Amino acid sequence: MTCDLETPGGRRTIELRRRGSAWEMTLDGRILSVDVTATGGRWSLLIGPDTSSRRSYEVAVERRSNGERIVYVNGLAVPVSIVDPRERLVQRRGNVSDGTGPRSIVSPMPGRIVKVLVREGDVVAAQQGLVVVEAMKMENELRAPRAGQVSAVKVVEGMSVEAKAVLVTLA
Amino acid sequence: MRKILIANRGEIAVRVMRACRDMSLATVAVYSECDRAARHVRVADEAIAIGPSPPGESYLRIDRIIDAARASGADAIHPGYGFLSENEDFAAACRDAGITFIGPTAEAITLMGSKTAARRAAMAAGVPVVPGTEEPLAADVPDALIVERARQIGFPVMVKAVAGGGGKGMRVVSSPADLPSAIRAARSEAGAAFGDSTIYLERRLERPRHIEVQLLADHHGTVLACVERECSIQRRHQKVIEETPSPVVSPEQRARLTAAAAAVAASVGYTNAGTVEFLLDEQGRFYFLEVNTRIQVEHPVTEMITGVDLVAWQIRIARGERLDVPADQLLVPRGHAIECRVYAEDPDAGFLPSPGRITSLRIPSGPGIRDDGWAETGTDVPVFYDPLISKLIAWGADRPQAIARMRRALMEYEVRGIRTSLPFFQWMLRQPSFVSAEFHTEFLDELLQRRAGEGFSEIDPSLEEVAAIAACIADVEGELAGRSGSTGAPAGEGTLKPVLSASARVAADSSDRPVRSWKDRARLEGLRG
Repeated sequence: MTCDLETPGGRRTIELRRRGSAWEMTLDGRILSVDVTATGGRWSLLIGPDTSSRRSYEVAVERRSNGERIVYVNGLAVPVSIVDPRERLVQRRGNVSDGTGPRSIVSPMPGRIVKVLVREGDVVAAQQGLVVVEAMKMENELRAPRAGQVSAVKVVEGMSVEAKAVLVTLA
Repeated sequence: MRKILIANRGEIAVRVMRACRDMSLATVAVYSECDRAARHVRVADEAIAIGPSPPGESYLRIDRIIDAARASGADAIHPGYGFLSENEDFAAACRDAGITFIGPTAEAITLMGSKTAARRAAMAAGVPVVPGTEEPLAADVPDALIVERARQIGFPVMVKAVAGGGGKGMRVVSSPADLPSAIRAARSEAGAAFGDSTIYLERRLERPRHIEVQLLADHHGTVLACVERECSIQRRHQKVIEETPSPVVSPEQRARLTAAAAAVAASVGYTNAGTVEFLLDEQGRFYFLEVNTRIQVEHPVTEMITGVDLVAWQIRIARGERLDVPADQLLVPRGHAIECRVYAEDPDAGFLPSPGRITSLRIPSGPGIRDDGWAETGTDVPVFYDPLISKLIAWGADRPQAIARMRRALMEYEVRGIRTSLPFFQWMLRQPSFVSAEFHTEFLDELLQRRAGEGFSEIDPSLEEVAAIAACIADVEGELAGRSGSTGAPAGEGTLKPVLSASARVAADSSDRPVRSWKDRARLEGLRG
C-alpha cells in the first residue's frame, strides 16, 4: 500500500510492505528497512537500507485535526499531513486552512486588546500587524498569515477576549 | 530561622524550597486558585491558599501573604523574583510583622528601585552611568518638556520605567516625532506592571553588551562580587540566553567591573544578594545601568562556575551568618556556563504565548546539565503568569564544551502538547555569530526583524524522512487513543498509541468492515490482522 504525506520540505510517497516483524518501505525510490518498537508512549525506529546498517531514532507521534500529525524527533516537532482516503473527505467538508479562502485571525489565548492596527476594508500584506493582544504579561502582535483585505474587525481596544475569539477576518 | 514561606510560584519557588530542604528548613508554599496542584505546592511541607488566579488577587497581595506566614508560623519569607520581590512595602510589612525578609532592606529596595536614585548612587560611588535624565518624569510632566530633555540627551533615547525591570515599560525612540506615543506605551505598560507610570530617559548606546555582576553582601560589612554574567541575547529587552564568564571581558575589565559593582553596593549599605547591571560599549567602556535587588532568573550560571549556592547564601545572610567564601572562589571562573530560558512560546509564530496542558515532558540530564523547572507531564501552564517552563543550564570546562552540551541537552528535551522556545535555542546555538560570541543587546531583535517571521524549526531532510516514516507507520499501525475503545479518552486530538506487536495483532478482528481508512486497506492487503 502507498501513503502520501506532506512535510515542510515537500510531498513524499511511501510504499509500505510488512516483512516479518519489521517494515520494508520504498521512500522516494529508495528501499529502506524499518524496525519499530514501542516504549512508554514513544517509538524506537531503526531505519536503514538493510539490517546491518540502520540509524536509530526515537519518535512520538501526535494527532491533530484533519490528518495533521506532529512528529517529535531530536527535540523538534515536525508537522506532517497525511493525505488518506478518510481524511481527504474530511478536508473537503471543512476546508478552512488553504491559502485563498476567507481567513479568521483568532486570539491564541485569553487576553486584553491593547491596539487594533487595521480597519475594515484595509488591504494588508502578509506578516502585517493586525491586533495587539496583552496576555501572559506581554504584548503580542498578531500578524496577517497572508495578504488580503480586512473584511471584519470584531474587537475594539480595551476589550477582553477569550481564547479562540475571532478578532479580524481577512477576505 | 526554622520555617520559610516562599512568596512565589513556578521554578523559583521550587528552587528556593530545594535550598531550604538542603538546609533542613521547613517550607510553606502559597498558591492561587489555578495553582492548587502546581509543583511548588507539592514540594513544600505546608501550603496555604491566598486567592484567585490573577496575580493582583493572590501573589501580589501583601496582606494575604503576611497572614499566611503568621498562620503557618513561618519566621522568614523568601520572595523569589518578580511578584513582590522588589516591593519595598512588602519588605517593610515583613519587618513590621517580625518576619525576616530574605533580601535587602526596604530602604535599599526603595533606593535601588528608583532607577534615577540608583544612578545618582552609582555616580556618587564614582561609577560611570549612561547619560540621561537625572530626575524622574512623573505622569504630569508634559510631553513637550520630555521631548526637550530627549533633544539634550541626543537621539536615539531609551524611555524606561523608573520602577522598571524585565524590559517592561521600555521603548527605544529614534526621532522626536515618535516620542509621545512611546511615552504613552511605556507609561501604560509600567503602570500595569509596577503600579507606577513614572519614566526617565537614557541615551541609547550603539550595539552595547549587557554585562552584570552578582553580589553577595552580609550584615557584617563584607561585600563579595562574582564573575560577570553576559546577558546580551535579549528579545524585546528580555534576556533569553545568559552565560558566564562573558566571552569578551578581560581579567583587567573583570577586576574593574566587579570593584565598581561592589563599590555601589557598599556605598548604600546593601545586604543580601543583588545584581549590578552594566552596559559595555564597543570601545570596552562600561556604564552602570541599574541594580536588581533580588535573586535573578539567571543566577544558576554563576552557581555553576563558582560552586556556591546563592539561594542558600541568601538565607544564611538573612539569619546573620558571616559571608566566609574566599573572594577568589567567586572571582576566578571555574569553566563556563550557559542558560537558556525555556518559555511556553511558539518561536515559529512570533513567540506568541502557548499556554495549555503539557501532554508529555522529558527533561534532559547527563554531564554538565542542570534543569531548574517546575512543569511535568500533565501540567497546565496557566495564562496568568510568566510563561517560563524551565531554565536549562549547561556547564563545560570551556565555552565550546558548554555549547556542545547545551546542544545535546536541547536535542533530548521534549515537550509535547504546547509549543516552547526550544527549537529557537537549537537554531540559535548553531549560529556562527553565537558561537563566535559576536553579539550585543539588539542583536537578536535585529536578526528576528531580518527573518520577518520565518520559523526556527530547521528540520533537515533526513529528519523529515524519519518524521514521514513515523507518521505513515503510525497511521497504519497506531490505534488512536479513544478509538481503540479501551481507554475511554475522547476521539480527535491525542497521542497515537503505538500498538506494534505483530504477533499480538494476528488475532484481531479482520472481518468484513467497510474500507474507510488506510487501516482497513492495510487489513485487506494483509499488512495487519
